[in-house]
Amino acid sequence: MIAVLGLAIGVVVGLFVQPSVPDAVVPYLPIAVVAAVDAVFGGVRAMLDGIFDDKVFVVSFLSNVVVAALIVFLGDQLGVGSQLSTGVVVVLGIRIFSNAAAIRRHVFRA
Amino acid sequence: MEEDKDQDKSSEQLPDEEVVEPAAAEESAVEPVTVPEAADVDDPSDEPSAGPAEPVQPAGSAQSTAPAEPPSDARRRLKAALWPPRLSRGQLVVALLLFSLGLALAIQVRSTNDHSQLRGARQEDLVRILDELDSRQQRLQQEKAQLEQSLTQLENSSNQAKEAQEQTRQKTAELGVLAGTVTATGPGIVLTVDDPQGQVKADMLLDTLQELRAAGAEAIQINDVRVVAGTYFTDSSVGGVQIDGRSVSQPFRFTVVGNPQDLTPALNIPGGVVRTLEKQQARATITEQQKVVVDALADPKTLQYAKPAAK
Repeated sequence: MIAVLGLAIGVVVGLFVQPSVPDAVVPYLPIAVVAAVDAVFGGVRAMLDGIFDDKVFVVSFLSNVVVAALIVFLGDQLGVGSQLSTGVVVVLGIRIFSNAAAIRRHVFRA
Repeated sequence: MEEDKDQDKSSEQLPDEEVVEPAAAEESAVEPVTVPEAADVDDPSDEPSAGPAEPVQPAGSAQSTAPAEPPSDARRRLKAALWPPRLSRGQLVVALLLFSLGLALAIQVRSTNDHSQLRGARQEDLVRILDELDSRQQRLQQEKAQLEQSLTQLENSSNQAKEAQEQTRQKTAELGVLAGTVTATGPGIVLTVDDPQGQVKADMLLDTLQELRAAGAEAIQINDVRVVAGTYFTDSSVGGVQIDGRSVSQPFRFTVVGNPQDLTPALNIPGGVVRTLEKQQARATITEQQKVVVDALADPKTLQYAKPAAK
C-alpha cells in the first residue's frame, strides 16, 4: 500500500513540480522507465506467487534500469542507438506482457 | 507459470548511474506470507490491469468473485499487501523506488508532450531536420534575391519614368519660351528706339528684329507684345505701327534675352540697325543687363490646317 502510494505521489510530483532533468540523462530516461515498469510487474507477480523479497526487488529494479541505460548508451556509441532501443523496448514489452498474464491468472484465474 | 520470474538476478552489484538510490536494502522483511483474515470480496487490484495481449481476457468478469468461492492465495496475498498498510523497511524502500519510477514516468510523459519532437529526436533525425532547414533557408534566400532584383528593376524603371517626365517638363518649358506662352528671363539687352518724328516704320522694326534673331536672340518682346514665330508688323493707316494687330506706341522698347556680347555688336555694326535708325532721326539706346525679364505672353493659336506629318 505504501508502495502504491509512493508511485502515485511520484507521478503527482512529476506532473506538478516539473523538475528539470539533466541533459546527460535525457536519452536514457524512456528506456529506464520501461525497464523499471518491467521490474514492477515482476515484483507484483512475485508477490502474488508468494515469493516476494524486497531486497531482490530493489536489486532487480536498479539493475534493470542500469542495464537498460547501458544498452542504450552502448548503442549510441556504436551508432545503432535507435535500433538497439527498439530491441530493448521489445524485449521488455514481452516480459511485461508475460508478467501481466501471470498476474491476471493469479487474480482472475483466467 | 510460463516464464521465469523477474527476481532471478538476485544479487548483482551493478554500479548504478541512472537512479541515484543507494537503497541497497539488507534483508529485513519476509512479508508476503501473512494472512490476516479471510475476506470475501477483494477488489480487483490496481496494479496488474495491463494485460490486453491474450484473447481470453474476461472483460466482463472483473467482479467475478462469487461469494461462495473462497478467495485464492494470490488474492489473499494481494489484499493483505494492499490494505493494512505496514510501515516496514522493505515497504519504504519499494515505495521510494516506485516514487522515482513515477517521477521519471511523469517527467518523460510531460517532456514528450511539451516540447516538439526535437526533444526526443535522435541525432540522425536532428541532422536530417537541420538539412531540411538548410535547404529551405537556401530556397528562401534565392527567392529573396529574386525579389530584390525585381525591386531594383522596378526602381530603375520608376527612375527612368521620372527622368523622362523631367525631360518632358523641361522640353515643355523650352518650347513654351519659344512659343511665347511662358515668361523668360536671363542675360540680355534692352534696346530703346526713340523716334519723336515718327519715321520708324514697320519694316525698320522688322529689320531690327531680324538682326536680333540673327545674333541669337532667344526671347523678344516689343513693349508689351511678345514676339513669336507668327508675329507680323503692319503700318497703321493712322500712323504708327501695329504688331500682331496691336498698336505699339513710342518709344519702342525691345527686351531681348540672349548673349549681350553678341547682340550689341550686331546692332552696332556699320550700316547696321543703329546707323539706319540714326539716319531716320531716331535714337537707339542699348543697355546690357545681366538679367532681363520677358514677361509678355502670346496667345497660342490653335492650328487649324497644319497637322504634324507622320514620320
